[in-house]
Amino acid sequence: MLRLLARRASVQFPLLVAVVAVVAVGTTLLGVCALLLTRSADQALTEGMARATAPEVAVTAYLADVPAAKADSVAGDTRALLTRTLAPFQATSATRASSAVRLLGDRTGAARPDEPRKLAYLSGIDGLQSRARLTAGRWPRSTGAAPIEAVVLQPTARVLDLAVGSRVRLGTEITSRTDAVTVVIVGIFQPLPNSGWDRDPLAATGYDPAYLDGSPNPAIAYGPFVVDLSDLFASGSTIDRLQVTTQPQLARPTGPELDAVAATLGTANAQLRKLLGDRAKFSRVASDLPVTFALARAQQAVTRSTVLVVVLIGTVLTAAALGLAGRLVVALRATETALLSELGASRGQLAAATASEAIILSAIAAVLAVPLSSLTHAALTHLPALADAGLATSPSVTGAQLMAVGVGAVLLAGVLVIPALRRDPEPTTGRSRLGLLTRSGADLLLLALAAIGWWQLRTQPAAQAGTDTVRVLAPVLCLLAGAALAPRLVMLPLRAGDSLARRSRGVVLALAAFEAARRPRAIAAALLLSLAAATGTFGLAFGATWQQSQQDQADARVGTDLALALTVPPTIGQGSVVGTATGGAVSPVTDRGVVIGRYFGTAGAPPRLVAVDTTRAGLLLRGRIPGTSWSQVGAGLAPKTPAGGVPIPVGGDSALTITGTSTGASRLQAVPRLVLEDRSGLRTSCEATAVRLDGRSHPLHLCSPVREAWRVVAISLQVNFDPPGQVGAGESRLTVSVTLPAGPNPGTGTWPSRSVGNDPWRLGNVATAIHSTPTSTVVTTTANVNTDELQPTLPVEVVSTAFAAPSAVPVAVSDRLADEVGAVVGGRLTVTVGGIAVPMVISQRVPTVPSAPGEVAMLADVDALSRALISAGALEPAVDAWWVGQPSTPGAAAATTALGLGEVDTRAGVHQELSRGPLRVGLPAALDLLVPAAVLLLLVGTIMHVTSEVEARALEMARLRGLGLRRRSILGGLLAQHGGVLVLLLSAGAVVGAVASWAVAPLLIRSDLGARPEPGAVLQWPWPAEVGLLAGLLIGGTVAVTLVIAVQLRRADAAHLRVGA
Amino acid sequence: MSDLPVAQPMLAVREVNRSFGSGATAVHALRDVSFEVATGTMVALVGRSGSGKTTLLNVVGGLERPDSGTVMVDGTEVTALDEDGLSRLRRETVAYIFQTFGLIPVLSAAENVGVPLRMSRTPTLERERRVALLLDLVGLADHAEQRPGELSGGQQQRVAIARALAASPRLLVADEPTGQLDAETGLSVMALLRGVVESEGVTALVSTHDPVMMALADRVVRISDGQVTP
Repeated sequence: MLRLLARRASVQFPLLVAVVAVVAVGTTLLGVCALLLTRSADQALTEGMARATAPEVAVTAYLADVPAAKADSVAGDTRALLTRTLAPFQATSATRASSAVRLLGDRTGAARPDEPRKLAYLSGIDGLQSRARLTAGRWPRSTGAAPIEAVVLQPTARVLDLAVGSRVRLGTEITSRTDAVTVVIVGIFQPLPNSGWDRDPLAATGYDPAYLDGSPNPAIAYGPFVVDLSDLFASGSTIDRLQVTTQPQLARPTGPELDAVAATLGTANAQLRKLLGDRAKFSRVASDLPVTFALARAQQAVTRSTVLVVVLIGTVLTAAALGLAGRLVVALRATETALLSELGASRGQLAAATASEAIILSAIAAVLAVPLSSLTHAALTHLPALADAGLATSPSVTGAQLMAVGVGAVLLAGVLVIPALRRDPEPTTGRSRLGLLTRSGADLLLLALAAIGWWQLRTQPAAQAGTDTVRVLAPVLCLLAGAALAPRLVMLPLRAGDSLARRSRGVVLALAAFEAARRPRAIAAALLLSLAAATGTFGLAFGATWQQSQQDQADARVGTDLALALTVPPTIGQGSVVGTATGGAVSPVTDRGVVIGRYFGTAGAPPRLVAVDTTRAGLLLRGRIPGTSWSQVGAGLAPKTPAGGVPIPVGGDSALTITGTSTGASRLQAVPRLVLEDRSGLRTSCEATAVRLDGRSHPLHLCSPVREAWRVVAISLQVNFDPPGQVGAGESRLTVSVTLPAGPNPGTGTWPSRSVGNDPWRLGNVATAIHSTPTSTVVTTTANVNTDELQPTLPVEVVSTAFAAPSAVPVAVSDRLADEVGAVVGGRLTVTVGGIAVPMVISQRVPTVPSAPGEVAMLADVDALSRALISAGALEPAVDAWWVGQPSTPGAAAATTALGLGEVDTRAGVHQELSRGPLRVGLPAALDLLVPAAVLLLLVGTIMHVTSEVEARALEMARLRGLGLRRRSILGGLLAQHGGVLVLLLSAGAVVGAVASWAVAPLLIRSDLGARPEPGAVLQWPWPAEVGLLAGLLIGGTVAVTLVIAVQLRRADAAHLRVGA
Repeated sequence: MSDLPVAQPMLAVREVNRSFGSGATAVHALRDVSFEVATGTMVALVGRSGSGKTTLLNVVGGLERPDSGTVMVDGTEVTALDEDGLSRLRRETVAYIFQTFGLIPVLSAAENVGVPLRMSRTPTLERERRVALLLDLVGLADHAEQRPGELSGGQQQRVAIARALAASPRLLVADEPTGQLDAETGLSVMALLRGVVESEGVTALVSTHDPVMMALADRVVRISDGQVTP
């Protein structure tokens, strides 16, 4: 038998080489995908976790109320536990501790009985040098003896008048009797941003004039006095807060290792409580590591699902090519098989011979596929996209790869054998084959399955975890069903051609048309060619749609080109700093959860309010918005008139004064607050010290020097008794004038003013007038105060603004918000922003609000919102972020991050992470393989089919020559036949690919977490690539057909007549 | 001596040699083959398998070029024609009938018969009339729309004969036309061929083993080991 196989192989060498090539292409594709799904996926997980930021993987234990005597052991035990929890990863720990507050100075902490108490606290921080910057002196050292060395923040030093060398006595703790501690100041420092100072009891502000420690009256708190951690633990201080943060070194984490750590972390809380017992009143272990890991796993699963689609399509395509090869082999051997049967060979023996040959061929292909897939995978991972994602790898062989190649080869060998097992392996007429397919209804069954798959895909839940069977199978079914229907589509023009040919006079094109329309054995080839063309078309469209969706998701997620989410309070002039760092259009942004009427949103997802400078919406806002533009949306949101205000020239802060008078029996004072607007549109308030309304001019100090042209857009006066605590009688008429140095266009007239706060009726006849002189501008506010009702703890407040209070802030609401609350355009909402109820009117409805994709959200103008809030007495800026449109400075993101103002996200960065991140890049890589594989299989299939076809017709060609047809006419006829069929099949395949892309591609795309993408994916047509693909297929196919026919035709000579006449 | 012109033979084969391969393994298919076929006669070419019959027919039809010697068909030296000339010769002068019929499987009987007429770009209506006439001549008027696979062997050969006659050739070259047929069918085909030669006035060179065919022929040319034998 082997001798028979060997001899037969030597004769049919070209076809068998083609079969081996097809199996090798298919199994190589499987091998590469197996490597992508295993080795690269593991590497992607490793790389993704290694790229996680420190906060995303840190494990922190928070403890409170640790007795002084046990503080050291508690810290040590906690560190050890966290380190054990993170095993096998190496980890470093950092401890931060703050003592309970102590009385500052003497026994009461207050200089006089009527003054508020003064409190202070100690802190110890590991790695202080990396979290702060010294401005004077040096860092504290552990002395082991009194006085303890300490450093303080600049504000603490300023308000306590401390300098290097100063000694400060911290008395007993207010909740327990402890020994006093004396510290010597050895340095003064500034905190560095994002260094964990938010965990400081005073958030690194240095002091708090209204510190609430549980007593009825607020105290003034100072601190921290930062000492060496060991000194803190030895100081006899109760540790009010103890924080141990352990940072794992995730250089090359494996999935199992991370799984183990995540599991251990789940029990860490209980372990810590058990370990510490009553040594700490409160303990908690918190970490984002399990969530980070779960997110990485989710991304891995999403990518795996989509790569599996590619694997399955590739496998089906290869199977189709092999099905064709099997039919051709069977056809080629029909005579031989019949002869062997007549000589007594049983079906079993023939099947065994065929199976043996198929296994040998598949084994050869598999042997080739292993190194080929390793090399292809290695080459693929060195493409820029994968290399940048850290996935570059050298060629290697893995078990999964061998398994995929082996199983693939066996399955494909089965496909090769199936045609040989048929009782009537090669019917003599095409009608019967086509009829068989039609009668069996296989294509209709496929169509039904595809329809079911598509419907399932459409109705899938928004979030789907893990590998999704429907998502894997549906596209393959759609493509296969379409490809099975393609021959039917192609038959329509072919039959029309046949009909025309009957009436024609010529012979060449007529024969081509007859052959094309009636030739048998073409179904397998038609299936392969149309499936390959459909796969190529689908692959390109899906790839483009996926890429565009990642861009859309990045646009919607960030909402602008560069977003800086503030972790520090917004300060005036900050916009200029951000603008200088980025070189783009800068806008302050409100981006926070709100309450709409009584609608609080769903758990953990309150309605979002995004307010931005909508006069520059086109520059600032990003995200798809069909049928309109962000500029048009923004135009309907911004106030129609500018806010106005009184300009303060640069350096003009030193010339500000305030003068006030009041009539009546009660003496009054006023606390002025000026709302300043900088060039970016940010409005911040600056509170000055209380001023007696005694008719004298008092200097008015701003919070910071005026370094650029600012404007005063509102003034608030909080009026109280002078001094507070008196009882009033009757009514007072107060007049307060704020004098500002003259700036450009100061304006005159009046400002709207109103009584705000509790019981606004206690103020009456409120009015504000502006007067300008060549040297100054005076803003004068007058009002009547009912001092009978004036309460020392409840002062009255008047706010004057350079703008009218908007009756309602116009907003554009997201589709989801409109659906959730039943909002309609023109409808009104009451939105609670920072405790202030702001009336809003719905001016538009948008699919989604920038930075809040798919959320219940609304978009407003930050100026309009600010006007509403300030008019209602909320002077603090409702600004949470800075958005930058079209940043032009190279490295804008890094420069903005270096400002230390908060977290920076860029649209480009998020897009890069979504499309080319280690956990995402597997899909485009697999698609990069699929399209060339489809092209290759199409060409191989075309060559196989045409070779077999022309070879089978060689005798017919020779006879046609015998009838007088010239060789070139025969060549022309064959080219017309095969070229025409190729064009039709490629066109039908392209149509199938297009329909499958339209029906399935957008539904296949998921967000990085497996949910439906927001905004929804929209099918993209990369026309140049699609046209290039089809042109390439056509040209490649035509060249292959021409070469094959030319070669085969040379053999169609008299020799055929001699042997086959 | 007579002054009357000597009738020109339809086919004159002179000193034709044809071999395949070279050196010790060379096969001499034809050796100094010479003979003539007079116009309007039917000549049987007789010889065993491998004797060189098919090669000789291929050389006569211009499908193969001899190594040496000349072939004249109706006064045209076939061996001097180029590729186009040979094609024209086969379209207009020589028609083939193959042992395995040589019909195009995807075409109906009528379409097969019409192929030579398409080659000469005969107008459609005229072609259809001629095809109908020929199918009637060979007794297959009722089978015009059937494909070869739906016809018996004898019917297929009749279609082949009709196709051969379609372009009104001067010389019919038939390579064992009854080789695939049973005796009875073969006899009817031979009778048809003989009748066609007489009714259409064509010349026929027919290779055969069949004694009946030899009997029907005007003359028998025997060939053995590539040589014409007496």
